[in-house]
Amino acid sequence: MTTTPLDALAGHRRQMARRVSTVSALGFLLFLAVIADIATGASGMGPDTVIRGLIDPETLTRVQSVILFQVRLPQALMAVLVGAALALAGAEMQTILSNPLASPFTLGVSSAAAFGASIAIVLGISLPGIPANWIISANAFIFAFLSVLTLQALARLRGAGIETLVLFGIALVFAFNALTAMIQFVATQEALQQLVFWSMGSLSRADWNKVGILALVVAVVFPWALAQAPALTALRLGEERALSFGLNVARLRFVALLRVSLLAATAVAFVGTIGFVGLVGPHLARLLLGEDHRFLLPASAFAGALVMSLASLAGKLLMPGVTIPVGIVTALIGVPAFLALIIGRKERS
Amino acid sequence: MTILRHLKAAAAAVAFVFATAGMAVADPITVTDVAGREVTIPAPAKRLLLGEGRDLVTLSVVHPDPVSVLAGWLGDLRLLDTDTYEKFRTAYPAIERVPLVGSTNEESFSIEKALSVAPDLAVLGFAGHGPSPRSKEVIDRLTEAGIPIVFIDFRGKPLENTIPSLEILGKVLGQEERVARYVDYYRERLELVKSRVAASTAPRPKVLVDMRPTMDGGCCGSPGKGNLGEFVDLAGGHNIGADVLPAPLGPLDPEYVLTQDPSVYIATGTAGGAETGGIQMGAGIDPAATRESLGRLANRPVVGELSAVRDGRVYALWHSFYNSPLNIVAVEAIAKWVRPDLFADLDPDAVLADINGKFLPVSLDGSYAVALKPE
Repeated sequence: MTTTPLDALAGHRRQMARRVSTVSALGFLLFLAVIADIATGASGMGPDTVIRGLIDPETLTRVQSVILFQVRLPQALMAVLVGAALALAGAEMQTILSNPLASPFTLGVSSAAAFGASIAIVLGISLPGIPANWIISANAFIFAFLSVLTLQALARLRGAGIETLVLFGIALVFAFNALTAMIQFVATQEALQQLVFWSMGSLSRADWNKVGILALVVAVVFPWALAQAPALTALRLGEERALSFGLNVARLRFVALLRVSLLAATAVAFVGTIGFVGLVGPHLARLLLGEDHRFLLPASAFAGALVMSLASLAGKLLMPGVTIPVGIVTALIGVPAFLALIIGRKERS
Repeated sequence: MTILRHLKAAAAAVAFVFATAGMAVADPITVTDVAGREVTIPAPAKRLLLGEGRDLVTLSVVHPDPVSVLAGWLGDLRLLDTDTYEKFRTAYPAIERVPLVGSTNEESFSIEKALSVAPDLAVLGFAGHGPSPRSKEVIDRLTEAGIPIVFIDFRGKPLENTIPSLEILGKVLGQEERVARYVDYYRERLELVKSRVAASTAPRPKVLVDMRPTMDGGCCGSPGKGNLGEFVDLAGGHNIGADVLPAPLGPLDPEYVLTQDPSVYIATGTAGGAETGGIQMGAGIDPAATRESLGRLANRPVVGELSAVRDGRVYALWHSFYNSPLNIVAVEAIAKWVRPDLFADLDPDAVLADINGKFLPVSLDGSYAVALKPE
């Protein structure tokens, strides 16, 4: 029994169809999770009221309208966008560094953001001209972005291989953590508390401005990453192979890191540090779909968004009335899903 | 090692000198501190080690010349509440020469430095910036060096422990009469609030206490059981954080806050509040500055929608009242704000002025309890 080219073609088509349907299924699950997230909350306002209110806001009382449009919707959308942004950033980072443990957080982005936030919270230091309600976000963004640019600068040094980059990123984590600890050491207890809550990550800081900015970043970066999907897939097969295809690998890495820094820095600036989702989103997608980045990238974004959306939902159900920092819940939701997939996969192979 | 031996010898010598002096002039003093430990010292203490700098204000309630009995202290007041420190520095320039035994937290507390200032008594808080009953190494080293320790508390259980803590300090410093005057005043004020609340059958208004609000922090960090929530309950209000938060302080879900729709909103502010978009309060602050930031924060998303804010029942309280013998000012301010039906006649500003005039060697003037709309 030999496979003819025709068989191979048919097999390829079947495979493509299967991948498309897998990504679609993830998208549909995400849609359900978001609906559940919007229909859940401490006030007990259920799906019927929510759907009626979305169709005709006039039917809601004033408080209901504030709950739906100023609390639940921005938080639910923020969860989706943050999850998508961090998982997409993680997927690209794992590819360009060919390291399964790479994520924006393992390489210092979140530590840098936390340091930026800490000097705003504890010392009140920020760039001049930034309104008080933006200084924490602005500082977090600036430092997160600078940390990736530092990585970037190192990557451009001749002879700095990806192992060096990863080590350098890890060194950044320790450096920024130490700096943040120094700031914590001179903080008032009040400031310290605020910093601790910030670094646990929270969706309750979401508002339409922040949702809009992050949505814009994702809308710009996602198609851009998708356009480079074939090149990224080639890079995933190995650097020599990518070079033999005539790819400019250094440039590919540079541009990908730029996208990663935009996504991760914006997300972290608005919600604080939320670990794990940037690591686990891409792995979930990889387990489901393999290495073809045309599918891997959207699936990573969907998987990350799904994990965050479920974390937002679980956070409301665990302790009604209390905001559980979403960074805590993310890992609690993500780890079991991740383990289930890994174990399920082992049994299949 | 030899240094430590010298230190121990020095400490022992100091203890011996005081012990012999004590035998000559006074009976030993025995107190039971708020941790339930029985502590005996040979004579009134003259060289205090203060484990929390903020307790300098406490010390000034107890002693007419608080800096004269200060051998060493933690740096939290000096480094973090610079306005209050300045007031003390103006009155007692010698305070600049009192050695710091650490910066602003328990971890920075240097046992070596603490021993080297040769205190005859260590006064430590129950919880806060400095060492606490859980700081085993600190307690062990001080004990080995023969330095007795008393624990006081204005923070863990402020309503229970304020009076005992003051009385303990009055005893060990030989200032019992002075303390008794303040305690009588305090007790009378507190009883007035308690009795009126007990006699009232009206429903308790819902109160949101927003601790250290910032423009970027979402909504809302609230006391749970304990902390400033205790004062709200005592004053006849209902702290909505107490129903859902397991800890003394935690983040409330904004949707819960909206659903509860509290009728009174109280935000807290600190000395450096303005720098981080919070509320600026404390010694030497102009109440107008407090009002300006309070107005801004009360109109932020979610909070701005509450009945409390729409009806103009918006107030700011000095954050550090949760850990201060002057907490009666906070109790009266909250009572007046939350239950105008019972406490229209109270005047927290006058109470603070009263305390400043009658009991404190250094007047604390500034912004401590402010209504957005001056009455």
